[in-house]
Amino acid sequence: MITHLKSGHVYDPQNKIFNIKKDIYIEDGKIIDKKSIRSKIDKVINCADKIVMPGAIDLHTHIGGGKVNIARLMLEEFHNEADGNYDSSSIIAPSTIKTGLKYIEMGYTSCFEPALLPINARQAHAEMADIPFIDKGGYALLGNDDFFLSLLKNKASQSMINDYVAFILKATQSLGIKVVNPGGINAFKFNQRALNVDEKSKYYDITPREIVSKLTRAIYDLGVPHPLHVHCSNLGIPGNFLSTIETIKAANGLPIHLTHIQFQSYGNNGDRGFSSAAVEISNYLNKIENLTCDVGQIMFGQTVTMSGDSMSQHKNHKHAHPKKWMCMDIECDAGCGVVPFKYQDQSFVNALQWAIGLEIFLLAEDPWKVFLTTDHPNGAPFTSYPHLIKLLMDRSFRNDILNQLPEGILEHTILHTLKREYTLNEISIMTRAAPAQILGLKKKGNLSIGSDADITVYDKRKKDIEDMFAHPCYVLKDGHVVVENGRIKKYTWGKTHTVKPEYDKSIEKTLGKFFDKYHTMNLDNYIIKDDEMTRLVGNPIYVNDCKTKRKQ
Amino acid sequence: MANQNSTKNLVCPFCSLHCDDIQVKTNGKKYNVVENISCRKKIESYNINRHSNTYPLMKNKIISLSDAIKKIKDIVNSHKEILILNHGIELSGLRSILNFASQHNSIIDHINSKYLFQNIGVVQRTGYIATSLTETKNRADTIIVIGNKIFDKSPRLIDKVLLPKHSLCSNKNNRNVILIGNFPIKIQKEIKNRCKLTNIKIDLDLVPDLLKNLQKEKGKAIKGVSANTEIKLKNIISKSKYLVTTWAASDFMKNKKPEIIINSICGYIVNLNQTQRAACMPISGSLADVTSSQAMTWMTGFPSRIKHVSNSFKHDRESYDSENLISKKNVDLVLHISTISPDKIEINKKIKNIVIGHPNSTFTNQPDIFIPVGIPGIDYEGIMFRTDNVVSVALKDVRNISLPNSQSILDKLA
Repeated sequence: MITHLKSGHVYDPQNKIFNIKKDIYIEDGKIIDKKSIRSKIDKVINCADKIVMPGAIDLHTHIGGGKVNIARLMLEEFHNEADGNYDSSSIIAPSTIKTGLKYIEMGYTSCFEPALLPINARQAHAEMADIPFIDKGGYALLGNDDFFLSLLKNKASQSMINDYVAFILKATQSLGIKVVNPGGINAFKFNQRALNVDEKSKYYDITPREIVSKLTRAIYDLGVPHPLHVHCSNLGIPGNFLSTIETIKAANGLPIHLTHIQFQSYGNNGDRGFSSAAVEISNYLNKIENLTCDVGQIMFGQTVTMSGDSMSQHKNHKHAHPKKWMCMDIECDAGCGVVPFKYQDQSFVNALQWAIGLEIFLLAEDPWKVFLTTDHPNGAPFTSYPHLIKLLMDRSFRNDILNQLPEGILEHTILHTLKREYTLNEISIMTRAAPAQILGLKKKGNLSIGSDADITVYDKRKKDIEDMFAHPCYVLKDGHVVVENGRIKKYTWGKTHTVKPEYDKSIEKTLGKFFDKYHTMNLDNYIIKDDEMTRLVGNPIYVNDCKTKRKQ
Repeated sequence: MANQNSTKNLVCPFCSLHCDDIQVKTNGKKYNVVENISCRKKIESYNINRHSNTYPLMKNKIISLSDAIKKIKDIVNSHKEILILNHGIELSGLRSILNFASQHNSIIDHINSKYLFQNIGVVQRTGYIATSLTETKNRADTIIVIGNKIFDKSPRLIDKVLLPKHSLCSNKNNRNVILIGNFPIKIQKEIKNRCKLTNIKIDLDLVPDLLKNLQKEKGKAIKGVSANTEIKLKNIISKSKYLVTTWAASDFMKNKKPEIIINSICGYIVNLNQTQRAACMPISGSLADVTSSQAMTWMTGFPSRIKHVSNSFKHDRESYDSENLISKKNVDLVLHISTISPDKIEINKKIKNIVIGHPNSTFTNQPDIFIPVGIPGIDYEGIMFRTDNVVSVALKDVRNISLPNSQSILDKLA
């Protein structure tokens, strides 16, 4: 079947196409060249007054895994949002089906779970398998597991660490590696309550800097496209911008991605001991070539925070709203914490957090280096993306909200002085082309011949940009029209994106012995095999290329 | 598929530890556990025997599978309120249950929901700090076990987790185990031989008072606990680097207020964490309850007791309680799904009952139709969740007795 998207105003940043009238042809789920068409065109969609972009990509959204399910379970009283098409789960902790439906309705076609605990990976993939429409993937958590820390303590070679990292990517069917509060989650298990970048953990005698340094090197050596995805030390603590900068330095110039950087950009100046350090962080972002970040914008309202960072979540439990929370130590592997939270516009701290996120967006000179996220649901549910886009594109709208925030907030933010308004070109970069590029998804985020036909078509005539991004006229997934004028036309099920760098298999022997002695499952069961992903988990994999082959 | 006369690795589906270190010898039809482990007999009891039913039955007479499916479809279509009662099934089967329920606007409940909701209740009321099996094995230096049936439900808990051969960060020979409740002498001896045991023989209703006392200078006297014992307990606990409390909610069900016992344990642990590290490890899930609650939660937002109404699943803990629904005849058809349960299935003869169950299923009364299906982890592969909620295991197959799996039957019925 051939589909023709006719005369759309196309935004395809990877191909340097911005608002150019173009035709797009689709066959068998791929974008094809008009010249290759041999049969009749089955469907023509008139896009004359439409904006056509690749399907959007969310590179950091908590959509699957143990902590997400704890939140769903904990917040039962919020599950009352039945609207005819969906189940009644709340958007702050949506069911898998609601997750898929809400994402596809907004034109998002690929989403990535950033905190896939290796030991919990089977569950995370099984959950994500039940999310309809979208392609997905995850970043495996390392840097707090006892095996890795033992390697570092015993001065294991970088090549052995590389082998372990590659093994984890394979065993957990992941696309990348994330480190959360490097070493801090493990230290919390030994009753350490804080761990700064150059502070040694009491048990392993290792600093977060060493962990970040070893892992960024491993990712680089293995040729994994996505740089180490880092949730820095000291999340949410006033003055943490300094440790954020030190974490950047720990990468020693190698590629590094800092996630939900808004939560890591706090100063401790002023009468309240809490201030914006967005300028300082943005200066680094703008000057360091190999540094990327996603923002983790907060929005006002009820949400739930969920994180692998049990150290910081335990600290945060005092702010829980409603008053309940959960933390967990997990399998000598990682941890997690779930704390419901309500961001309030009349709270000085929350208002400044809102402003800091926007400052970072607006101070970023290169939209290829900063990605639009709310760290769903930590900053806000992902359904607030259209509102966030409007905040970025419409200064007067932004300032109207800013002016309603607590008196005195203007003295603590430069937001009102930032005149910048994002363009559609920039939005298309930061929500499509840039995340595809940083994740190494060659067939996503662009409209090149041979790419996946994941395409979103917006109504150009809509005056309200938030409305336009919230309600695309058409969404195509793998060439199928799955949304038409806000209505679901067809259910499809995406695939799981992975990478599989080469490694020396002898690491499995070492690890097998460790599992036999210390774990409560065997290594063979820990590994999620490719065919298991299809037959049992329910999510076939797509293996993306690594940049380089393993160095011998 | 199992080979003739081979040794196979069994990932055990029959308790919530889901041990994956068990070897069985199998000729393809029968399997025997190689090692002399405490649950050997239980695992082997699922072998086909002279009482097994390997053919579909209607009113106790053998019928073909296709006829059975046809008959069930007719029954399903002629009944208004269908309850799917889950007695234990793996993930793929659960997905099919949800699919069936959404086609027929059915109610779903798990046979163990009442126990499950005790532990879920505390998550929904206050939350708590939890830990997992491997953390306990490698980090715990003090373990408080509350209630005495936990080792019946998870026979290898002592060997694999509480008193293991190896421990990464704690001195396994120096562990303190505090037993609260009335434990069998055999268990007490076994633990005493391997670590420091403190035995607190009290009525479990007194657990909240005991835990209160442990947080005060001086509390009210508790029957069965001397002042010296309290001091000893406080001393052990305050010196602990990583304390774990473990219990099975089902142990408290005969007590006056089980939720207060569980709340008090969780609250105590939360308080301890102000200055030291401690965590809870509830043990549950002997009938794949954890698998059910996990998968149902991610697919609907609710762990159990749901009904499909107007395109979405609604939850009501009272209205969709299977015991009430059956006893009050508020449903006219019960579809029992039972792939691992050793328990007799209650059949209320006043309503229609269909059982999709393993061949050794037993009933209080004969169901209207019975379809034998394979056992996940014995006859077919699948995924199940361990008691600690974070680990899921890939079940394997170790025999081939040519039975369909429950998923395929449910999909045909949907």
